This record gives sequence, structure tokens and C-alpha cells, in this order.
Amino acid sequence: MHDRLDHNLMKYDPDEAALAAALRALPASAPTRDAWPDLASRIRRRSVVRKSVWFTLPAAFAAAVALTLAWPHLHQRAASPTPARVAMQTSSPAARPAAPDIGALQASSQQWQAWVQTLDRNGALLDGRQLTQAVALQDRIGLVDLQLSAARNPSTTADLWQRRIALLQQLGLLHLQPYLVATQRPARNDHLISM
Amino acid sequence: MLVHPCNVDKPTNFQQTVEPDLIARLQRGELDAFETVYRQFERAAWTLALRLTGRPDIAQEVLQDSMLKAFERARQYRGDAPFAAWLRKLVVNEALMQLRHDRLHVIEVFDDALAVDESPAPWMHADAATLERALDRLPDAARAVLWLYHVEGYTHVEIAGQFGRSVSFSKSQLARAIRRLRELLQPQLQMEVTPCTIGSTTTS
Repeated sequence: MHDRLDHNLMKYDPDEAALAAALRALPASAPTRDAWPDLASRIRRRSVVRKSVWFTLPAAFAAAVALTLAWPHLHQRAASPTPARVAMQTSSPAARPAAPDIGALQASSQQWQAWVQTLDRNGALLDGRQLTQAVALQDRIGLVDLQLSAARNPSTTADLWQRRIALLQQLGLLHLQPYLVATQRPARNDHLISM
Repeated sequence: MLVHPCNVDKPTNFQQTVEPDLIARLQRGELDAFETVYRQFERAAWTLALRLTGRPDIAQEVLQDSMLKAFERARQYRGDAPFAAWLRKLVVNEALMQLRHDRLHVIEVFDDALAVDESPAPWMHADAATLERALDRLPDAARAVLWLYHVEGYTHVEIAGQFGRSVSFSKSQLARAIRRLRELLQPQLQMEVTPCTIGSTTTS
């Protein structure tokens, strides 16, 4: 690069050559404060996060795959009564609408909660925005729990359990977001470094 | 007496060489090796960042972010060019990135970019402090182009690539920077000369 500069210098007019010389002769300055402690601290923090991601990524990936495979089954269990129950109910003379299977919904809710807790314990750290969303979801789950404790009507109870499951699913997906972001986000200026 | 690491007398440019062993240790992620490299290039990187951005607070960010990238991407360094040149490129990229992000959207367009000024070059007589002050007062893009072209040896094609603009953009920014420097330095020099003239008049 400096060979080219010297070559260019020959094409300069004397004023510009003098300007280049004056600029290059300016003294180097020093940072107003030592940035090394902050930099070393950033490096250590990022190293910890990276190790944590590599440790938990397979677990999170397995959980995501399991979620994908189990989703239709769990959704079906959460949303509709079991075939046996439906058969029993449809064969009754009164042909009443199917009563929701509260037990199945509770079991599904437990499965989702266990999965969310696993991700919460072992997953990557959430950033500020995600943490706010997680707290909001947990608050809503707490509210549903409160409503469940007061619910008497089976239909209302079933609705509340389904709502709880949906909120747990959202919470679980939120805990997976850091991995999705880490694998999808391109470096800001990789294209600028060609050496 | 403790001496701040920034004040230790050492070379301050990107012409320094880095021992292959040190680079190898850096590429293995050894933090103490990186600190040695950091200390070696701290002032050069800071000065370059400050000249390109014109603001100490942004230069501080550029210094940190570019050095962090140097550490994390050390394995990408293949030895095709001197390590210092690789590092300098990271600093330039980061500085221009910051400028683009923060302020370069207000790039001025100049109609008079190629106007010729026949007045004598005032920087030939300006001291370093005066020249630095004038540099600080240049528009961001003009100052960065001036520095990259005249000090770092970038070509107009390379500068245009860095800014994502045309070659004529680079040329016009350079011409404007030089013209503006003349304007800024001329009055300063006249003011510096004036008291002597007055003094000689009153004593005669």
C-alpha cells in the first residue's frame, strides 16, 4: 500500500505532498483511559457465554426437535378429548357435547412446564427484551393459575388449562430464541475484511 | 511510580512487526498474548480511530470493538499480509462502520469539489496543534477520506469500496477536505502573523 502511496506521491502537486507529509508527521495520541481491563472483561464474558452455548446447544436442539415431533400429538391431546372418551360420549343416548379431558390437559401442562424449566436452567442467557417477555409470560401463567384455583365450571377449567399450555409453549420458544439468533445473525462487516 | 500503560514510550504506528510465536499464541486464544499485541498497537489503533472519527468517545468504541474482533478472528489471519496491516484494516472497517452508523448519513454533496485554489499551502507553516484542530473541524466523510488517502495510502477505488460509494465521491470528498483545510488554516496563520506586524509598526 505504501509503495502505491510513494508512486502516487510522484503524481501529487507539491502542496498535496506537503499536506500528506504534515498529516503523517502529526504525533500519535494515547487513549484517555486504559481500555484493556474492559476489553479483557468483555473477552472473558463472551468466552463464558460461548462455552455455555456449545454446552447447551445440543440439548436445546434436541428439545426443539422433540417439540417439533411432539407438537401435533400434544396439541391434539391438549385440544381434544381422547378417542375412547369420544366414543363413550357419542354412544350415550343424550349425545351431549364432549366433556373436556382435564386430566389430559394437566398432564400436557406438566410436560410443557418440565421442558421450560429444563431450558431455563440450562439454556443461554436471555437478553433484556427477552427477559421482559419471559417475566410477562410468567405473570400471565400466574394469573391463569389463580383463575384455575377459583374455576368451578369444567369448560372454563379446560379453557384455562389450554391457555396455560399455550403460554408455556411461548415461554419455551422464547428460551430457544438466543440459539436461533446466534445461528442466523450475520456478522456486521465480515464483507469488509478481505485479507 | 506506576506508569499508565498508554504513556510508555513505544512505536505508535502500524509498521511494527509481530513475532510469529506471538501470533500463534493469539490464534490459540491466549489472553496474555493478546494483551501484548494490544499494548503494542493500542496507540496506533487509537490514533487511527481518532483521526477517522474525530471524536474520542467513538474512537474508544472503535479501539475496543476492533481489538475484540482481532482476538476473536485471529484464526482467520493467514499471514498473507503483515499482521499489523490486517489489524489496521479491522480498525479502519470498524471506524467507518461507526461513522456510517452514527453520522455518515449526513454526507454533504459538494458542487465545488474540483475547484482549484491557487493560494499557498497553509499547512506548510501550521504547527501540529493547529493542523489537528483544523482536521477536527472537517466534515466526517471528508476527514476520513483525506486521512485514508494521504496517510494510510488507500486509493480512491479502495476508499469508494469502503464507503460503498463511487470513485467520484472519494475524489470530491478529498478535494473538499483540502479546500476546507485551506480555509480553516489561512485565518489562523494570518492571526499568528498579525501581532508581529503591529508590534513592528508601533516600534518604528
